[in-house]
Amino acid sequence: MIARDAELAVETVENDPVPTRARASGDWTFAGLKTRREEILHTLEELRRIAPSRVAWDLTPIGELDDTGALWLARAMRGVVEVQASAHHREILDRVAEASRVQIAMQQPIDPYAPAIAVGRAAMVFGMHLRDGLALLGRIVLEAGALVRRPRDTPLRELSAGVFRAGVAALPVTMLVGFLVGIVLTYLSALQLKRYGADLLVINIVGVGVVRELGPMLASIIAAGRSGSAMTAQLGVMRVTEEIEALQVMGVSVITRLVLPKVIALAIALPLVTFCTDLAAIAGALLVSRFTLGIPPQAFMEALPRAVEIVNFWIGIWKSAAFGFAVALVACHFGLRVLPNTDSLAGGVTSSVVASITCVIILNAIFAILLRNVG
Amino acid sequence: MSADPNEHVIEIEGLVNAIGSGQILHKNLNLRVRRDEVMTLVGGSGSGKTQLLRVILGLKHPVAGSVLVFGVSWDDPSFKKVRDARRRMGMLFQNGALFSALSVFDNVAFPLRERGGVSEKKIRAIVHAKLSEVELAPHHGTLLPANLSGGMVKRVALARALALAPDLLILDEPTAGLDPDRSERFVQLIQRLRADHRFAVLMVTHDLDTLYALTDRVAVLGDQHIIACGTQDEVRELPHPFVQSFFGGERGRRALAHGAAA
Repeated sequence: MIARDAELAVETVENDPVPTRARASGDWTFAGLKTRREEILHTLEELRRIAPSRVAWDLTPIGELDDTGALWLARAMRGVVEVQASAHHREILDRVAEASRVQIAMQQPIDPYAPAIAVGRAAMVFGMHLRDGLALLGRIVLEAGALVRRPRDTPLRELSAGVFRAGVAALPVTMLVGFLVGIVLTYLSALQLKRYGADLLVINIVGVGVVRELGPMLASIIAAGRSGSAMTAQLGVMRVTEEIEALQVMGVSVITRLVLPKVIALAIALPLVTFCTDLAAIAGALLVSRFTLGIPPQAFMEALPRAVEIVNFWIGIWKSAAFGFAVALVACHFGLRVLPNTDSLAGGVTSSVVASITCVIILNAIFAILLRNVG
Repeated sequence: MSADPNEHVIEIEGLVNAIGSGQILHKNLNLRVRRDEVMTLVGGSGSGKTQLLRVILGLKHPVAGSVLVFGVSWDDPSFKKVRDARRRMGMLFQNGALFSALSVFDNVAFPLRERGGVSEKKIRAIVHAKLSEVELAPHHGTLLPANLSGGMVKRVALARALALAPDLLILDEPTAGLDPDRSERFVQLIQRLRADHRFAVLMVTHDLDTLYALTDRVAVLGDQHIIACGTQDEVRELPHPFVQSFFGGERGRRALAHGAAA
C-alpha cells in the first residue's frame, strides 16, 4: 500500500476564543511524513509556540497514524484541550504523550548546586545525630544520677549479662586477631630492623604499638562489629515489636533498663578484652622474635618492661574504656532510632557499625594529640 | 481502690497533636473516660486513633493541651505520682508486644517484679492465677512467645496487662488478627474479667461485633477532634458521613442484630 503524504493545514479565525485551527490529513506515518518533512516540522514548531488554549486540532481526516506521527503531534499538542480525533488515534496519541513525558523528565538539566545541597544535607544529618547522641548521653548521666538515689533499681543482671556477652564471649575472636596482628607486626618490623642490626628495637615497636594503640583499637573495632551491631539490632527489633513501648507504658525507664547497662557493661568489658588482646599480641611477637630474630623468650620478657613504660599500658586500658562507652552509646543511639520496618532496621545496624568505628578512630586521634607528651 | 463511678480515669482537654512533619493531627480535642465504663474510640483510617492512644499512654508529647490519666499528667515532676498512675493502667498492644526474650511466666511476672516488694512465691501464685483467668494452664508458662499462636499471644498479653490489677485497661484492636470464633471468645473473656475486676476500658476497634458487645459509650474521632461521644444509639443517629458508613449498611445492621441476640 502506498502511503498518502501527510499534510498539515493551519488557518486563523478572527474574533474567536480559539483562533488557530490546525487540520492534519493524509497518512501520519514514517513513510507518509517523508515528503513534506521539513514543512510539517516547521509548522508544528510554530504551533507549539502558540498558547495551547488558543489552538484547536482536527485530526479526523488522518488516515494512518504510527508512533512517529503520533510523537510529532504529541509534542506540538502538549497541553491542548480541543482535539478532534478518532478513538483509535486518540489512544495512540495518549500512549505516546505519556511516554514522551517520561523522556522529558529524564532530560531535566543537572542542578549545578546539587553537590552543595548534598553536602549540606549530610552535614545536617551529622549535626542531628550529634545533637541526639549528646541528648542520649545527657539522659544516661541523669538516669545514672537518679540510680544513686534509688540503688534498688540498678539493673545488675543486665549489667553482668552485658559484661559476659561483650567480654567473655568476645575473647576468642579478639585474642586470635590480636595474636595474628602481633605476628605480622613483629615479622614486618623485624625484616626492616635486621638491616640496621637493631633487632632488639622490635620489642619497643611492638610493645608500644600493641599496648598503647593496636590493642585498644582492635578490641573496640571488633566490639563495634560484634557487640555494637547486636545492641542496635536488639533495640531495633524491640522497637519493631513494640516491646520498648510496652516497657515505657509499664513505667520502666528504657534508658535505665536497656541503654545504661549496655554502655557501662561495654566500658567495663572492653578494657579487660584489651588486656587479653595485648597478651595475645605479645605472645605472637614472642613467637616470631624467637624464630626469625633468635631472641629467646626470657630476654624478650626482660626487655619488655624496660622498652614499654607502664603508663602506655594504662593509657591503652583507659582509652578502651572510653571506646567501649562510645561504641555502646552510638549503638544504642541508632537502635532507638529504628522505625518499625525492616529497611530501617538494616540501615540502622549498618550506620551503627560504621559510625561507631569512625567514632573510635576519631577519639583515638584526639587521645593521641592530648597524650602526645605522655609515655 | 477508689470507688467513685464519676471519677474520670482519662481527661483530655484542648489537645493539639502533630506528627513529625508538623502536620496537625488533632486540634482542640476533648475526651473523658469514666471510672466505670467501656469507651470505644472509632474513626476512619488516618484519623489518628493510634496517635491519640500514644498520647494517652505518654509515649508521645502533645503540642498543647492537657492529658490527665488518674488526674496525673505524664509531665508531672513527681516520679512517684507518674509511676503510680502508670501502675494503675494496663495496656494490650495490637500485636501483644510480649518480651520475646522472656518466657510466658516471666512476661506476666514482669510488672510484678518491676513493682517490687512481692516475694517470688507470691509472684508465682499471682501469675498462675492470671494465666488461668485468661484460660491458660501453668505449664504454658515455660513457653516462649515465639511458640505461641496469635490468640495465645493476645491472652498472655492480657494477663500481663492485668497483672497489677489495673483500674484502666487500654485495648488497641483487641480482636484484630483473630478469627470470628476466637475473637468472640476473647470478647467474652474481657467481659468476664471486667465483671470480676471492674476496670475501666478504653478500646480502639474496627470490629462492630466487639464494639456492640462491650461498649458503653462510643467516641468518634474525625476532622481532627471528637465529633461525637455518647451511647451507641446516640452516636449511630449522627448525620456525619463516617458515622453513617461505619454503622450503617448491611455490616452494621448484621452486627447490631447479632449484638442484640447476644
